[in-house]
Amino acid sequence: MAITFEPGNALSEADAAALERAIGKGLSAGRATIRSKRVPVSSLGGLNGTRAVFVTSGLRQEQASIAAAASRLSVPTISADLDCVQAGRCVVGIRSTPRVEIIVNRAAARAANIRFGSAFLMLVKEI
Amino acid sequence: MRRFDKTCLLACSACLAVPGLARAQSINYAALQETMGEPVTTSVTGKPQRASETPASVTIVTRDQIARSPARDVPGLLKTYAGVDVNRWTAGQSDVALRGGVQAYNARLLVLVNGRQVYLDHYGMTNWNLLGVQLEEIQQIELVRGPASALFGFNAASAVVNIITVGAIDQAMVSGAAELGTHGYDRLSAVVALPLADGVGLKLSAGQQRENERAIPAGLYQPPRAIDPRRKDVSGTLDAALDDRTRVTLEGTYARNRQLEFLPSQLITEQRFEAESAGVTLDHDTGWGSVSARGYINWLDAGYGVGLEANGAYSVGGLTSTEFHNRTAVAQGSALVRLGRDNAARLGVEYRNNRLSAETLFAPSIAYDLVAGSGMLEVHPSDRVALTVAARVDRLSLHENGAPVQPAASTAADYERSYTQLSFNAAALYDLSDGGQLRVNGGRGVQSPSLVAYGYRLPLNGFPVPFPVLLTGDPAIRPVPVWSVEAGYARAVGDALRLSATGFYTRTSGAIASPGTAPAFQLQTGAAPVLVARFANIGDYETYGVEIDAEGAIAPRLRWRANYTLTETDQGFSTAGDQGVSYPVAPEDTTPRYKANAALDYDGDRWFGSLVGRYTSASRQFAFTRTQQLVLGPVDDAVALDAKVGLRLSARLAVTLAGENLTVADSTAGSPIPADTRLRAGLGLSF
Repeated sequence: MAITFEPGNALSEADAAALERAIGKGLSAGRATIRSKRVPVSSLGGLNGTRAVFVTSGLRQEQASIAAAASRLSVPTISADLDCVQAGRCVVGIRSTPRVEIIVNRAAARAANIRFGSAFLMLVKEI
Repeated sequence: MRRFDKTCLLACSACLAVPGLARAQSINYAALQETMGEPVTTSVTGKPQRASETPASVTIVTRDQIARSPARDVPGLLKTYAGVDVNRWTAGQSDVALRGGVQAYNARLLVLVNGRQVYLDHYGMTNWNLLGVQLEEIQQIELVRGPASALFGFNAASAVVNIITVGAIDQAMVSGAAELGTHGYDRLSAVVALPLADGVGLKLSAGQQRENERAIPAGLYQPPRAIDPRRKDVSGTLDAALDDRTRVTLEGTYARNRQLEFLPSQLITEQRFEAESAGVTLDHDTGWGSVSARGYINWLDAGYGVGLEANGAYSVGGLTSTEFHNRTAVAQGSALVRLGRDNAARLGVEYRNNRLSAETLFAPSIAYDLVAGSGMLEVHPSDRVALTVAARVDRLSLHENGAPVQPAASTAADYERSYTQLSFNAAALYDLSDGGQLRVNGGRGVQSPSLVAYGYRLPLNGFPVPFPVLLTGDPAIRPVPVWSVEAGYARAVGDALRLSATGFYTRTSGAIASPGTAPAFQLQTGAAPVLVARFANIGDYETYGVEIDAEGAIAPRLRWRANYTLTETDQGFSTAGDQGVSYPVAPEDTTPRYKANAALDYDGDRWFGSLVGRYTSASRQFAFTRTQQLVLGPVDDAVALDAKVGLRLSARLAVTLAGENLTVADSTAGSPIPADTRLRAGLGLSF
């Protein structure tokens, strides 16, 4: 998973660091393992080969270009910044407190040619 | 600074094409639970739902809770939850009842393994030692309170238990357990799930368990021989993802078991069961939802009253042993459709052929064909409101095969009978502004008469009458509707506290019972008069009460839960009098009025375990005395303590010590046969 961030942007860098700490050397999820790599917003070519793009906070100006790059690669953009999802620039939004809420932007998913299973979509909020 | 916990990251993984999670339709329960932060179930409406959003009262016992529980089987796991009565009649025989109606061979609880029926249709009962499932392979146990026939059909009349096992394709695993205990207890189990190729997985499991029978009090009837319960089982599952939208699953199970049991007549006899099952399931995801097709066959060979003739111990009517052979073939299809962003509908069809063969039947075999259609609609008129309606129509056609055994109490024409039954559920959920949730739901479920209740035929000896005397089923016996309505409130206060309360009312009409020691004999006149005692619809009863649940965290790794249940039962019939017991069913006497449970659960880096306290108020239960009189005897109230402690020697190896009924409460089994204290030590392997 690519973690897109902006060097020098304190909020973005803090998000990226926190995410890297949580993933560590790899986080198991069923038969898959999540591993991360940082990709600066100035070098979005680094998204090649990744399966998902995490959009850190504080990147409002760069969200459109990240979304465009991810869409070309047909990989989903994920963020804890729900405004990014509401604006259609991120495909998936995640909120874990007070309870887990996952929000999927249907138009953004369609634009990136991403299809989710119906069982998954029945458990999340689609906008 | 934002903190990312594992739940948040696992939600990210949903977007990484983790097999079974985001793309394939088949549910990866483990991954979804981690992603959503709570278990997910399809057992309420057929649609995947978070446990906190189901339109019914649901308890889901998770894999981690099972590992820490002192229980050694599924009834033991269920007995500590609200509304649940578990009567462990003998060491091997347990019955689980929801919201009252306690009796041996409870026919109103439908039990499934991965949606496949393990409920046994011959007598209408569940043999919990014949599930063919190891505790180590259970992903979660879903308990849905209230009728669920609108989704599952007949016999989901008072509740459903759906045991979900770990998928063969979802993750590689090797797990096993070896336990030794007091009272001759030992248990071995092994589970292996291996990927065979990309998108193909095989899971094999096997196990055995045995222990000594409890001591039957001297004043009660002594069976010819006191055999100890044993079970052995093996199962296999082959899962294949044909593409990222289609998954096919092949399953097979073999299980056998012997144990002493209280029959519905309340006689204690030795039974031997052998069950096989084979099935195939196909799931396909589409742009608008999903479609599923499933077919399976269950075979059962059941020996009842084994050894009776050899020992000649039963003089009651000269009962003899019986071999039942039951085959249940089921074909099901369903489509789950997303309607817009928030709503969903489900359509289903089912065909079932059920056949029972035995020498002690009206004819060589009794059978029925069943066709059913069902539908469910879930809509969200607003963000805070969810409405669900579901209905199912079952058409059952009964018939017999072969020449009737003479003398007969019915005619072949009596068995050419059909009837139609409607089941339905309706529910409304309302999210309150304070974070709480209100639920109002109800429905009508149906219990089908068992094949034995339709077609049993046993000549009785020793009656001073000039006619043959028969104990028989009745082809005219009616299905049993169970009406239910309930209202609940639930509220979570962060992760630290969750509260819920439910008030319920159920009405069971025409409960079915087998004759007791003083049944109402009928003289059937004709060319060959016979005196007949029949299985019958004996009357109605109502249960109502409240279930209160609370759970929370004392510390990050120390959790607690507690529940209280009040069950009032009003019975509109009388079966026990001075002349004896006409029918041994008396829910007002046999259902405890009060139950309370409290549990502590600890999961540390090395140590883990749980402590469970259980209170059950007094009841009365049927039993034959030494002089072969059937009586309702007292079972006192009981406070029992169960505990388990475990130590992880490494990431893959753990040792455990567990004990049930540490307070030596005789009555905690809810049986005329007193409970004893059972301890065991075990070694668990998992990687």
